[in-house]
Amino acid sequence: MSNTPNNTFCHRTRREFLWQAGAGFASLGLIDLLSRDGFLASQAVAADGVTPFKPSAGNPLFPRQPHFAPKAKSVIFLFMYGGPSHVDTFDHKPELYKLDGKTIQVKTKGRGGSKNEGRVVGPKWNFKPYGQCGKMVSDLFPHIASCVDDIAFIHSMTADSPIHGSAMLQMNSGKILSGSPCMGSWVNYGLGSLNQNLPGFVVMLDPTGGPISGAKNWSSGYMPAVYQGTILRSAGDPILDLEPQPGVNRAMQRELLDTLGAYNQQHQLARIDNSNLAARIASYELAYRMQSSAPEAVDVDSEPEEVKELYGLNEKRTNNFGRRCLLARRLVERGVRFVQLYSGGNHNDANWDAHGDLVKNHSYHAGNTDKPIAGLLKDLKRTGLLESTLVVWGGEFGRQPTAEYKEGTGRDHNAYGFTMWMAGGGIKGGVSVGETDELGSAAVKDRFAVKHLHATVLYQLGLDPDRLSYFHSGLQQRLVGVEGADPIRQIVA
Amino acid sequence: MTNADAGRARRRKFARMGAPAIGLLALLTTVIPLRAAEPGATDADKVRFFEKDVKPLLESSCFKCHGGEKKIKGGLNLTQRERLLRGGDTGPAVDLKDPAKSLLLKAISYKDEDLQMPPKEQLAPAKVALLTKWVEMGAPYSPSAASGTVTSAAPSPAAHIPPKVTPEAMKFWSFQPIHRPQVPEVKEASWVKNPIDAFILSRLEASGLPHASSASRTALLRRAYYDLTGLAPTPDEVDAFLADPSPDAYEKVVDRLLASPQYGEKWGRHWLDVVRYAETNSFERDGAKPNAWRYRDYVIDSLNKDKPYDQFVREQIAGDELDHVTPESIIATGFYRLGPWDDEPSDKAQARFDDLDDIVTTVGQGFLGLTMNCARCHDHKIDPIPQKDYYSLVAIFNNIAPYQTSGPNILTDIIPDDKKKAYEEEKQALAQRKEDLKKRIANFELPVIANLSEAERADLDHPKKRAALLEPKILAATNADELRRYKELRQQLKQLEERKPTDYPQALSVKEISPKPVETFVLRRGNASSPGEPVTPAFPEVLNPPKVVLAPPEPGQKTTGLRRQLADWLTSPKNPLTARVIANRLWQHHFGRGIVRSPNDFGFGGDKPTHPELLDWLASELMANGWHLKAIHRLIMTSNAYRMSSAPIESALAKDPQNDLFWRFDMRRLTAEEIRDSILEVTGKLNLKMGGPSIYPTIPQVILAGQSMPGAGWGKSSPEEMCRRSVYIHVKRSLVVPMIAAFDAADTDFSCPARFTTTQSTQALMMLNSDMINDEAKSFARRIRKDAGNNPEAQVRLALRLALCRDPAEDEIARGVTFMKTLKDKHHASDDLALDQFALLVLNLNEFVYLD
Repeated sequence: MSNTPNNTFCHRTRREFLWQAGAGFASLGLIDLLSRDGFLASQAVAADGVTPFKPSAGNPLFPRQPHFAPKAKSVIFLFMYGGPSHVDTFDHKPELYKLDGKTIQVKTKGRGGSKNEGRVVGPKWNFKPYGQCGKMVSDLFPHIASCVDDIAFIHSMTADSPIHGSAMLQMNSGKILSGSPCMGSWVNYGLGSLNQNLPGFVVMLDPTGGPISGAKNWSSGYMPAVYQGTILRSAGDPILDLEPQPGVNRAMQRELLDTLGAYNQQHQLARIDNSNLAARIASYELAYRMQSSAPEAVDVDSEPEEVKELYGLNEKRTNNFGRRCLLARRLVERGVRFVQLYSGGNHNDANWDAHGDLVKNHSYHAGNTDKPIAGLLKDLKRTGLLESTLVVWGGEFGRQPTAEYKEGTGRDHNAYGFTMWMAGGGIKGGVSVGETDELGSAAVKDRFAVKHLHATVLYQLGLDPDRLSYFHSGLQQRLVGVEGADPIRQIVA
Repeated sequence: MTNADAGRARRRKFARMGAPAIGLLALLTTVIPLRAAEPGATDADKVRFFEKDVKPLLESSCFKCHGGEKKIKGGLNLTQRERLLRGGDTGPAVDLKDPAKSLLLKAISYKDEDLQMPPKEQLAPAKVALLTKWVEMGAPYSPSAASGTVTSAAPSPAAHIPPKVTPEAMKFWSFQPIHRPQVPEVKEASWVKNPIDAFILSRLEASGLPHASSASRTALLRRAYYDLTGLAPTPDEVDAFLADPSPDAYEKVVDRLLASPQYGEKWGRHWLDVVRYAETNSFERDGAKPNAWRYRDYVIDSLNKDKPYDQFVREQIAGDELDHVTPESIIATGFYRLGPWDDEPSDKAQARFDDLDDIVTTVGQGFLGLTMNCARCHDHKIDPIPQKDYYSLVAIFNNIAPYQTSGPNILTDIIPDDKKKAYEEEKQALAQRKEDLKKRIANFELPVIANLSEAERADLDHPKKRAALLEPKILAATNADELRRYKELRQQLKQLEERKPTDYPQALSVKEISPKPVETFVLRRGNASSPGEPVTPAFPEVLNPPKVVLAPPEPGQKTTGLRRQLADWLTSPKNPLTARVIANRLWQHHFGRGIVRSPNDFGFGGDKPTHPELLDWLASELMANGWHLKAIHRLIMTSNAYRMSSAPIESALAKDPQNDLFWRFDMRRLTAEEIRDSILEVTGKLNLKMGGPSIYPTIPQVILAGQSMPGAGWGKSSPEEMCRRSVYIHVKRSLVVPMIAAFDAADTDFSCPARFTTTQSTQALMMLNSDMINDEAKSFARRIRKDAGNNPEAQVRLALRLALCRDPAEDEIARGVTFMKTLKDKHHASDDLALDQFALLVLNLNEFVYLD
């Protein structure tokens, strides 16, 4: 197919344009839509001024054809910031209980450096089999456990860094270095947005604050800012600057926009060839529409009681994350491509970073999120949305089987092996791939890197991870790196 | 391959033996005959062993990536013996002389975290044993395998051989010496104000294209003001210009603007884009870079002084190694310290090369227009830049002291020239006193140390343990008074060591760890733990550069002097790229695009110049003018080409829609900084104070909430300070002022060759509803009310005049008046609110943010 999404728009140089001239955009049959929005414009041009593009290339967020028929349309990434312990959640290690308190030889690398031995902290929760697949899940997640037949667990994840800063960047952008676009940016770049009245890449933060490195975790890096994540609040004004100032109502703003439009059209008359001017006029109309569509999209209170109950909105503990999960469903329902929710924020025990008291930390965070996440999965399934929505769960790494300090149950970071899971969007349910060793210290069977996870997300969305590229700094850059990566085929339905 | 990816490969426990080296595939089509002398080639048992046991294992576990069916990873193809022996990017897979040392065995042993194969999981011990045995036998293959029938190794369509440094490659246009081209003859000679016009016009005439007529005087004035200062002319300045009948009225304006301090602020920002200027390190802590702002001021000041560009380059590259080192030249070397830096890397050795890569990338793209970074892991795939050249350049920077959060590695006292002597004397005196003290301390310690056991000696390196160890022994050897004296001496030394000669301000700057060049190697696949051939410092071969001289360091020399040699070469008139690249940047920021549209890439993968002679003429003119940039600005701006209207001409638009030939002037949107500064300017609040530590405009809570510690690292400025120009806003990598980010400011993690210009509805929301814009609209309205009184017509007229730098037409005034009346009549708005809303509307006009 010749419709590789590539950065033919927003190109900074002719070279970047020519680079993909062979690829180009297929005619998308969306020109009608564009015309309706007045978006017949090459609106994202820098160095080169006025390169005329095919209309579809005009709006950087306009829907584009994937490489092949997609299984999923949207992604909800439930980011367990800080790094949940896999051996206490989904990676059942019966042998580890018996070793509790014993000092053993095991290679680890974390915040506290590289070690060759450590005191085992036995898993602090019991595991039970659930569902038809009989998946063993710890008592931390009784609700999620009830959904295991829809979930594919990847127990053999590995990351390149056991340090939060670089590992967070890798999980979000594929690189442990600062400066690359995040997965949500890639997805919107590759596919465009299905709803021009809402941002295509939405981030919802924990009430305790953002993750470390803040906005770098939803940055569009070297791509235009139009692809960066937008922070959406679950209470109050959902999006920054959505509401007119106090004292100004919508009718007044309409007057303003009409008059503004009249001035702008007059200005445009003598410059009719400059489509950027038309695009800017259209962007104000879109903004106006966003003001009504965004509040509608985030109106969680309009949901039926039983739905609120399903997400745990009626319990203090789960209200916050539940609200955000429900919002996530409402957003993907309305065509938002990529929604990222953070469980945990700030530092230390405000997230899953259980260096001190493992039981306290994980009980808290699991307890806040278990019911909402299960609610989300059930609600997506009930509404049929699960088929086209890919849900991803996990942190930037896992945790070590051994204790970090002389005393206590705290575990240090572990990038040698950890668990993530996916559900919906054409992912097989009730399966588990990969294994860590019997301690859970490192992935030993069917090992996967972060890029394989990313490749799987892109693949389910109909994008070839090896072909989705963006020309920058003399190279075709990819989310999965220049070597490319295969999706995790074992979990693809 | 990408710089960031490059070294990453090794960190993966999935580390591959190499990346797809596409070029190699093509080479592989040449089959090298097996040498009969090698064991295994003729031994039937060994062949049978291969066929029966080894081949199925290779097929099931290795050939997917190393069998040439779909793609070859790491350049390693295991389907034939000679391919195995030749190996991949990391070298031969098998060592026949010492089989135990074979890379292949190392990889399957899983002992090296950076090289584990197969990546998905370790082979069962029996399989490892089998392959080990096979390698020890000399890795025999069957004849069928040897003739290449295991799998086809035909080059894939993507097969591509990296260009070599050949005489042919050296003929590429941008690698040629710069000659001053003949100024072409044109038919319409009357249009030619200076040679620029001749170059432009000759191409237009040859293509049968018209040139646009002159822009209106108001359009031209606004264009000139924004291009040189980033600010609009005031109504008085417009009036004065329109009223000036002298033939050189425009030239006088250009000269005045070039001499204005705002010129440096505007053009300094262009340079800051190129050098990835930011004041923090990114990553988890995103800590502040101490005194980074001095570099920003240095850039602005250098441009305002019209410092020759060659000197500007020399100061940034080697300001500490010049014949005359000044505080300014030291500050200039802050250039090296501006990039992102991970203070807690997972792999320190690799992180060191990431930091060096940041420098090589920025120097390559910024000064030379070469994507040197693409040769970090293998030979450049597009340009004739071998990997060796990349590391030869790394060798020039390899002595640079690693970045730190603070301290002498990155900070230098800035001593004014007239204080230098005194400072040096003071420093020497201080050093002398320290020496004396150390000797006196040693007199106490040495006799005791001589009697220490081996175990005890180990504690000498730990300051605390050292004291605990020595003090009782000194007491035993002497007496309590002596011990007290010993302790006093140590206390004095400690105080002296903490003392600085005089408390001078400090510059973020470059330092080197020693004057002796650190050994540098090609890193296979960019992997810090996989050094290959050693390299010596050198410049890219394809540019036919002079050799780098390696002289033993002189006594007292603190650095290698290698950067000085780089600076000399970069600024040599013989360097084909430096002058072209900067001349192109000047053109780019006047005309909206470079003559080469890829300003950071003058290589094979970059754009060809649309006007190569013009570019060379500008470059040679720049050098002939002593590298003074202002002379070139003046030439460009006084050309007729620059003064053309941006209005479309139908026939030209049909023939040359992208304006390749510059038949008109291209409209442009203001940059993020220009938009913010212009808003402050029309409201009358703009504070033109220059220089100093950066400012912190208010950032909305919802944006701060994205930080792990909301508000951390973002200071508070007074209202007056907040109204300073945008170039003075603190550049924090993980926290960008929303308005600056939304209007496409440069990404600061890499050199930014050209800004995007996106149009998005979030910009519109911000420009309509944000606290910031509404505060400014209110200020604007206050100013209008103050200067125009309560008459709506006068208010509208003034508002439009301030924002658009022209007298509005009557229908434009009527429209504004009607708008305010409607708000009042229909929506019961107060007079104030109606005017506030009109002020807001004006700030949203397309004409306000677009230049003709």
